[in-house]
Amino acid sequence: MPQPDGGVQTIPRSDEDVSTSSSTDTELPWMVVVWNDPINLMTYVTYVFQKLFGFSVEKATKLMLDVHQKGRAVVSSGPRERAENDVSRLHRCGLWATLEQAG
Amino acid sequence: MSARRRIVRSRRGGFDLRLPSEERQLLERLPGQLDRLLDAVDDGGERPEALKRLFPVAYARDPQAEAAYAGIMGSELMEHHRESLAVLAQTAASNHLSDDEADAWLAALNDLRLVVGTSLGVAEEPPDEISEDDPLYPDWVCYSYLSFLQGELVEVLSGLLPPPLAGADDEVPEDPWGDLPGGLRWDGTERPEGSPWTES
Repeated sequence: MPQPDGGVQTIPRSDEDVSTSSSTDTELPWMVVVWNDPINLMTYVTYVFQKLFGFSVEKATKLMLDVHQKGRAVVSSGPRERAENDVSRLHRCGLWATLEQAG
Repeated sequence: MSARRRIVRSRRGGFDLRLPSEERQLLERLPGQLDRLLDAVDDGGERPEALKRLFPVAYARDPQAEAAYAGIMGSELMEHHRESLAVLAQTAASNHLSDDEADAWLAALNDLRLVVGTSLGVAEEPPDEISEDDPLYPDWVCYSYLSFLQGELVEVLSGLLPPPLAGADDEVPEDPWGDLPGGLRWDGTERPEGSPWTES
């Protein structure tokens, strides 16, 4: 696949983007959540976590099992731009990832 | 390495392919079929249900942010799918893959599995046995084959990963929602039901 860290544009922020929820705070980190799905192979999900994030196989496997058993796992967090970038890399790998602000 | 393996690391770098001709023909044919489905999306047609899986939602609870995100990232994602599928079709007859081509194979095999699996309604527990009389039997065989081949490719690629990045494991935050029953946020409010990609 293309370089995972290739140039990724981020969404221009507007005031409307952050006014929809009282819990939205620009200081709070954005969480990247990977959701369970019945199709992606468990070994593939583990591999993608290792490849994209540089996790150990133990950590990647634990996160994969969280996705499989709990239905979701938070795999990264940070400023919105970074979280969007991580989500887009996961989407290129066919994983079902969303981002949302903690809190 | 067992002689039965279809994808093996090559001593000269890249990977050697040992595929029967009927499998190569399938791998040549399938990408074009998916590519034509993607054409319909490019032409502004309604996106078939099975294709939604290739374009997941990023902002499940914020339609405005999602529209902005999809407007920017959608075309890049489409290009990625098309490029990967093209590489698979073009190299299905090869005896050797470069590292980049193997990455494209992995992406294309996964895309094909997602679309075939979604159209078959694959659930967490797949059916044990499909009758050969079932009209969907060929699709199930295709899905099983793609799963098998992708699994083998994942195994060989996993063995070639670089060492973990120092500190990467520790950067993962605690899941603020993780210990609550499914469907609930950490503050007790309800999370949206269903699949984020069906909410767009």
